Amino acid sequence: MKRRELIGGALSLAAAPAFAQSGGFDWRRQDGQTITLMFNNHPWSQAMREMATEFTARTGIRARIEIFNEEQFRARLTTFMQGRSAELDVFMTLASREGPVFRKAGWYADLAPLLADPSLTAPDYDAADFAASIQGANVFERQVVAVPINQEGPLFYWRRDVFERLGIPEPRTLEDIPAAAAVIKAREPGMIPWAARGLRTAIPYAFVGFVNNLGGSVATPDGKPGMSQPGSVKAIEMYASLLKEYGPPGALNHTFTQVIELLGAGRVAMVHESSNEFANIMRFPNRANDLGVKILPPGKESGISKPAAIGWGIAISAHSRKQAAAWTFLQWATSKETQAKLVSAGVAPPRASVFKGPAFDAWTAELPIRRAWAEALVQLGREGSGVFQPPTDRIPEAREKIGDAVQQVVLGRATPAEAARMADEELAKIQ
Amino acid sequence: MVAPALLFAGVMIVFPFGYAVWLSLCDVALGQPPRLNGGANYARLAGDADFWNGLRLTLWLYAISLVAQLVIGTWLGLLLARTRRARGIVRTILVSPFMLPPVVIGMMAIVILDPSFGIANWLLAQMGLPPRLWLSDPDTVILTVAAIDTWQWTPFVALIVMGGYLSLPGEVFEAAEVDGARGWQRFRRLTLPLLGPTLVTAAVLRSVDLLRFFDVIYITTQGGPGTASTTLNILAYRRGFEFFDIGYASAIMVTLSALVFGSVLVFARLRRAVTW
Repeated sequence: MKRRELIGGALSLAAAPAFAQSGGFDWRRQDGQTITLMFNNHPWSQAMREMATEFTARTGIRARIEIFNEEQFRARLTTFMQGRSAELDVFMTLASREGPVFRKAGWYADLAPLLADPSLTAPDYDAADFAASIQGANVFERQVVAVPINQEGPLFYWRRDVFERLGIPEPRTLEDIPAAAAVIKAREPGMIPWAARGLRTAIPYAFVGFVNNLGGSVATPDGKPGMSQPGSVKAIEMYASLLKEYGPPGALNHTFTQVIELLGAGRVAMVHESSNEFANIMRFPNRANDLGVKILPPGKESGISKPAAIGWGIAISAHSRKQAAAWTFLQWATSKETQAKLVSAGVAPPRASVFKGPAFDAWTAELPIRRAWAEALVQLGREGSGVFQPPTDRIPEAREKIGDAVQQVVLGRATPAEAARMADEELAKIQ
Repeated sequence: MVAPALLFAGVMIVFPFGYAVWLSLCDVALGQPPRLNGGANYARLAGDADFWNGLRLTLWLYAISLVAQLVIGTWLGLLLARTRRARGIVRTILVSPFMLPPVVIGMMAIVILDPSFGIANWLLAQMGLPPRLWLSDPDTVILTVAAIDTWQWTPFVALIVMGGYLSLPGEVFEAAEVDGARGWQRFRRLTLPLLGPTLVTAAVLRSVDLLRFFDVIYITTQGGPGTASTTLNILAYRRGFEFFDIGYASAIMVTLSALVFGSVLVFARLRRAVTW
């Protein structure tokens, strides 16, 4: 069965009796309730905190929002959910990463019955408006575990002014990047040619595009670990060599914060970093004028560009006793109206109508780089992949093993082929 | 009258630790009740290279930090005890590092030691020395972390030593001086033995902290690069909260707790031996 059919099937499920209400939908039906929400630190979460009063004004529901950095967020969430706490009502989730484990643990409330209940879901909510690839990541068999709040993936940002000054053409293929880095290193000693994530657990997000573009794959066609395939080995070699030869000192401890800081401060000429950080990058002086942004260039031989593409979602805790109020929040936060407002905070909308709507169009028309960012996102949504690892339920562990293979090469402790073989052995153990 | 204390100990100490031991003997799938697995988690420890790496790093970090803090702390404490001018201000300054929250220490370390932006490499460059990777070099990252902890906690040891020294009977030192004991001889034969119980107390306090050391490592390196700073605490955290392998993470923590208890017992014995 195709994913679209699965989603359609899930969305058309009959409403569960527990949520059945008489009469039509009313935004103020849960007036007077207070719900607790836990979010990862993210431009979307920050915007939500600022907009929470609008939600309360519309629904009468008070939203108590807690925001933590990603690691603390996951630790706290695990503690709450493992303790079956009813204190938490709504949480952010990256279903492409933790979805299988959380679902198996029974942590997600099923949103399908809520979506199908006309007394609980606004008539203009329009769930079909979400891009199918994004919403598809939130559907397991027929259970809808979350609704999407954004779409994101790593993009290639480069300093157009530096390239022009040195007479380097804009990279058209992936192989042009190391060549450009070599010229920058030789002719612009004060400039770091390249930066990308080097922290073990953070590597796969930026790295998987290299694997796909160079003709490799994280899994073989029969679902086995695929790091030893020629294209994947080439990807390890290129990613590691870019970090080692052209990256900033200490790159192995870097994640998006350091990469963005270097790019924003004008210290680095090229990065492969999240589309989500676009708004943060634009806050630095001059970057709106001197940067270029696009999807990671395709491999010379493969001709394809397929970087990571993910979307965060918001879910309702299965242990929450205020699921109707929580669902009201989810609808408001992912409505067309709210998502259109979030565009100015740099949150890429997962709704097709918002993406193609006048507000987004007007916002992107203000600056050429915004238009380039939006076009890159369209391409990312069309061609990106949410798969960073071979099939397994132990996704975070698998991603760490892939990151470790790259680190071993950067540290000079293994050749790309050796690192790939070791990674495949380790990955096979957790399949 | 003992009942409240017993109740407190039971609820706040025995139960959580007992629960951790119970979890360490179980398979814990998220959302499911724990199921006993007959000590399989402990059997896994024996064959897990990451565990042995974590144990080696934990002990290495413990040893170098403890020795450095005791040696420098003793020197600093004696220096302070003999300094009368501005002792109050110096004490206040000394207290400040260990009053800072670990997250502040970690963030300060990241900023100071950043190879691109940090002041540490700038200072090295001013002295004509090559830059260092500090927290990103797998061969020296543990030394860097030990240096951060030593910077934070040596003043604590120094204050304990100063207090211990000032409480020693002055006439013993006067008699030694009459007998001609000076400098290193006086320190080795008199001061150090008399400070023995004080130093053991400082060592116990620092030992427990050093074996539990987590926050600064997590903030500065998250256990990296590679697994070069993945001590047992970091390993257990990652297994438990990132990989959701809670039974195995509990087994690592129970093993680490045994190490902490063991070190306390050793120092308790040592304290009896050095008491005068």
